[in-house]
Amino acid sequence: MTDLVMPKFGLTMTEGLLSEWHVTPGAAFQAGDLLFTVETEKVANEVEAEADGVLAEILVAAGETVPVGSPVARLAGDVAAAAGPSGAMEMAAAEPATQDAPSARKLMAEHDIAREQVTPTGRDGRVMKEDVLRVIATPLARRIAAQKGVDLQGIAGSGPKGRIKARDVETAPIATSPAPHPAAQTAVTEIIPDAIRLATAQRVSAAKREIPHFYVTHEAELSALSALRAQLNADPAAPRISVTHMLIRALGIALTERPAMNRIWAGDRIVAFGQANIGMVAETPEGLRIPVIRDAGGVSLDEVAAQARELTDRARAGGLRPSDVGDGVIAISNVGMFGVTSLTPIINPPNAMILGVGAERQVFRPDASGAPALRRELTLTLACDHRIIDGADAARFLADLATLLETPLRLLRPARQAA
Amino acid sequence: MPETRFIKAINQALNDAMEADPTVFLIGEDIGAAGGSFKATRDLLDRFGPTRVYDSPISEAAITGMAVGAALTGMRPVVEIMFMDFTTLSMDMLVNQAAKARSMFGGQGSVPMVLRTPHGGGLNAGPQHSQCLEAWFAHIPGLKVVCPSNPADAYGLLRAAIDDPDPVIVVENKALYAMKGDLPDTPEQIEIGKARITRPGRDATVVAYGAAVAMAETAAATLAPEGIEVEVIDLRSLQPWDEATVLASLSRTHNLVIAHEAVEAFGVGAEIAARMADVGFDELDGPILRVGAPFAPSPFGKTLEDAYRPNADRIVAALRRTLA
Repeated sequence: MTDLVMPKFGLTMTEGLLSEWHVTPGAAFQAGDLLFTVETEKVANEVEAEADGVLAEILVAAGETVPVGSPVARLAGDVAAAAGPSGAMEMAAAEPATQDAPSARKLMAEHDIAREQVTPTGRDGRVMKEDVLRVIATPLARRIAAQKGVDLQGIAGSGPKGRIKARDVETAPIATSPAPHPAAQTAVTEIIPDAIRLATAQRVSAAKREIPHFYVTHEAELSALSALRAQLNADPAAPRISVTHMLIRALGIALTERPAMNRIWAGDRIVAFGQANIGMVAETPEGLRIPVIRDAGGVSLDEVAAQARELTDRARAGGLRPSDVGDGVIAISNVGMFGVTSLTPIINPPNAMILGVGAERQVFRPDASGAPALRRELTLTLACDHRIIDGADAARFLADLATLLETPLRLLRPARQAA
Repeated sequence: MPETRFIKAINQALNDAMEADPTVFLIGEDIGAAGGSFKATRDLLDRFGPTRVYDSPISEAAITGMAVGAALTGMRPVVEIMFMDFTTLSMDMLVNQAAKARSMFGGQGSVPMVLRTPHGGGLNAGPQHSQCLEAWFAHIPGLKVVCPSNPADAYGLLRAAIDDPDPVIVVENKALYAMKGDLPDTPEQIEIGKARITRPGRDATVVAYGAAVAMAETAAATLAPEGIEVEVIDLRSLQPWDEATVLASLSRTHNLVIAHEAVEAFGVGAEIAARMADVGFDELDGPILRVGAPFAPSPFGKTLEDAYRPNADRIVAALRRTLA
């Protein structure tokens, strides 16, 4: 028997949502056949068979999220058909051998618990979350707790090693549920979320829960940028440039010039990127997707625009490729077209930052003499992962970005190489 | 109700069984003229004659084999093996013949024999004369095993074993032979497979058999002044054993200790603990603990043997641990 495992797409992928099976148990398949689909980092990866075989048993049902390397299905016979990452950008560094649940690893780190102190209960000796903070209670205590509706988590055990015994549950206060509010009868319908909504919900919940976010906000004056954009777009033969393209290019330059910001937190280590890849949040029929513009600091504004257009088209058509996503440190989410002033976004793991962009608007600001001056402004909100970025770094980076946007000719120059 | 000693109760049971049933006969080493190494068969040769009380050569395999054969022809032989340690020589006859006959002959035959044998230490008899091997027999489908803890039970269980249609191993703790206890004028048989609660309690259950029952009662008495009420179950019969009584007790006390003189590892206690961890899982409010001898041969010297044998203190310690 051979196990089919959750493949790893990209260096920072820790788990994947198995969104769909394309073969059924007992079915034979040939090399190249589609086996299953994995959703990660807002792209659907199709996993193909590398050899002929027969699927014996599905271990992970569609809709479940499992860590990288976990068996997802069992193959009959000795066929090796585990899929490898196709097209994902290859970065250095060997993975740690552990396949412990990410939540368990996090808990162990937070509570300073060595792996040796934990008794793994997961498949193939993986440490699961409940192994780290397991409630120790006798079977009778558990039974009484269940009957009384008492949560064992909140009870201090009086037995050896803090074991919760029946007497501890019997003396525990019974959780009283608040009296139901005599509210008017409202028609409520329960809707089962689809896999996309579920995946998004899980991903953003995990991101907001696990990443210590902080935010810095900066206004950028866009008169010069608008003028430059108008000049560039005046040439009908040249590719059209949007404000988003210019923002991406500006981010690329800012990141290239501050390589310390071009890093992400990967649990137990830091991953530094050698080029500035900028994600761009796109609304698609399959939900939000974040295709990545490669080397936005090294390529020209026109090239950035070309990449962005191509990726947007593919995203909208639902045809993003694994190589279109991942390996960026920052994404940009521009909701200016809806007229909102600003957006405070949630970082898309494993990114370290996300830039929320509001609508361009006209405001009066006092000029040097205190007289009102008409300006065109844009509010930039940078959400940062405090595990790797400190406030001053973020403030400098965002100020750099604003300066680049206010002196937009620099977007046409190569980025300065960092010292 | 007259008081009698354990060994006298055995003697009485043999006597009464032989009077009641002419097919009952005794066979063993030194059981006739000498009256048995522990005097279990005293005066029986005189009373019943040499056709019913056979002094055999020193050959446990032959003794047991003869008994199996006689039993298959309808006799009710009662074998005495002088020390349980020597039953190793009887094993083929017991395990491969006596235990299997009923099943292999499709129920058309059975082996209504009894094998009496003393186990246990405390007499400084050394590693080859002190062992408690009852778990070996309890492991064999087709054999029954009983182990009395007092004179009345010794009488009642032995009579039931002799009347039983299948082979029964009657294990007698040799340290109990001198024990005094009441024996009714007309004592009754004790049903094989039924345990007895010798002391009721609500906080923890000790399951014991043989000599460990008295240890358990001492342990219960030690804890009683502290307000800890320990229930003691005398298992009486090890195969079959009274799972229902043990489970009912565990369901009242929620804590279980199993005590026996035999080596703890792979013993009778292991079976009881495993069953209760299964059928009684939700009743448990502490770990199931066993008290038994360490995994080592029984030592000769008194000091070492005292340290080796389970005692009431160790049962108290186990009770305190599971109640912690």
